[in-house]
Amino acid sequence: MDHPLPIPQFLHDGDFLGVLKAHGYETAPRLAQAAAKFQHEMGKGSIATEGTTVLAVKYKDGVLVAGDRRATAGNLVMYERAEKLINIDERSILAIAGVPAVAFEMARVLEHSFKYFERSQLQEMSTAGKVRSLSKLLKDNLPLTLQGVGMVVPIFATYETEGGKDGGGKVYFYDALGAQFEGVDYSASGSGSLAVRSVLHYLNTWGGKPLGKYNESEIVIAALRVLDTAADSDTATSGYNPKSDIFPIVRVITKEGIREIPDSELSRVYKSEV
Amino acid sequence: MIEEPYRWVEAIANRREYIEDQLRRGSPVVALDFADGLLLLTVSRETRKVFEVYDRVAFAALGHPADIERMRLVAIDLAHIEGFNRAVADVSLRRLVNFGMSPALKTAFEEVFSAPHIVKILLAELGDEPAQDSIVKLDYDGSLARSEIEMKESFDVLAGTADAQKAMLDYLVEQNGNQRRSLEDALKLAAKTWAVGMDTAEHHEGKQDDEPEKREIDPEKVLKEHLKSRHVEAAVLERSRPATKKFRLLDEKEIRAALKDL
Repeated sequence: MDHPLPIPQFLHDGDFLGVLKAHGYETAPRLAQAAAKFQHEMGKGSIATEGTTVLAVKYKDGVLVAGDRRATAGNLVMYERAEKLINIDERSILAIAGVPAVAFEMARVLEHSFKYFERSQLQEMSTAGKVRSLSKLLKDNLPLTLQGVGMVVPIFATYETEGGKDGGGKVYFYDALGAQFEGVDYSASGSGSLAVRSVLHYLNTWGGKPLGKYNESEIVIAALRVLDTAADSDTATSGYNPKSDIFPIVRVITKEGIREIPDSELSRVYKSEV
Repeated sequence: MIEEPYRWVEAIANRREYIEDQLRRGSPVVALDFADGLLLLTVSRETRKVFEVYDRVAFAALGHPADIERMRLVAIDLAHIEGFNRAVADVSLRRLVNFGMSPALKTAFEEVFSAPHIVKILLAELGDEPAQDSIVKLDYDGSLARSEIEMKESFDVLAGTADAQKAMLDYLVEQNGNQRRSLEDALKLAAKTWAVGMDTAEHHEGKQDDEPEKREIDPEKVLKEHLKSRHVEAAVLERSRPATKKFRLLDEKEIRAALKDL
């Protein structure tokens, strides 16, 4: 049935992806066709580079987000210095497991979408709105996911300060189709995530005190130990590489914003605690 | 009528007169450097007039709110598409103005059968070094209004009339002592400059154009009078901000604290 009155639209809704598409930006479907053809001709499975283990844990002052540095393609190690944590705005980090080519593009779209929304609409996008934006991008990416060449399974970590209120740290995780879930205490993604989740569950339940009560130095130690555990059983996860001094990337999001734990500090913790 | 060239010229002239009449009483805008970057200030009744366009670019305008809004969105769209497709560093004020906003305004102005944009715009860009800061003014017809002062100064003003603009610049040049002034001092100076401009624009009304009278203005008194029904609106681009976004809208408390002993 037709509505007696048409539903009015916002004259300007601050949707950056819409603006991009109007300017000829291509999303996944066309790429997926090309990818399918390529795979068919090569007669092989996926050869796309993939990032591996990332995790986000809530602690006393906010959220810690960490990722190892390895990127793999099949059984090849492609890169040992991959950065899988991407700062999206002053208090949000996207941690990516999956194909970097797609994930970095998503991060770029998100970063600009949030900035664009805030500047054009003169208000910051709500956390729910941000979480939903990522979900929409994942859904747009469905054709690539189904082709098996562009799957991305991200974690979105943020510190809520909406309307001047201190909402604390928040962790959201997604499946490859775009469904979003809020992680209560922690979340992990990528090939090493099984080990990470198991250890975090153990620590949270029987570790003496819940992860949410850890202070910053305690949570950094826990994160490094848990990544080391994942690297022990998962070849695609690198952990600490003493030969070339490559450390995982560890960042914390607090009320003040995002801060990276420097390599010098990580090195000290590795030597004394891991 | 437009087929005849002289009619077209006439139509354009009428349009100019109409727009300038509309702009006459607009609240002036002051852009001024301070120790840590650039300050943009105006005094407004209700609608906001100072905005963020991109990480290092700020926008202030006078004119019709709907037209200001339209041009603001043009600037934001252009900057974000460029920043996304290339890199943040490729969004430059010069390109934004020369290849985007100026042609858009010119087209709108010359479409004599549609409504023109009643707007005057000032854009400021923060460079890595103070010497790279730039301020550009755009007129309703798309022309880049050149500053009346010859020197490349790190301040500029925008007002509804040329007289008001000149009075403000004269005042600024006269008062422009310390280049490394604090934000507080910059706020004071900018607010007083605004008062000089507003008073000149209001005084001009109803008078003959060729009246060469030089009036004494007491900026503090004028400002106090106006602040009964309006409020100061100010934003800064701060070099020392750690984030890539350098824009910050000043809150009322900060502004009031700086202007309390005026």
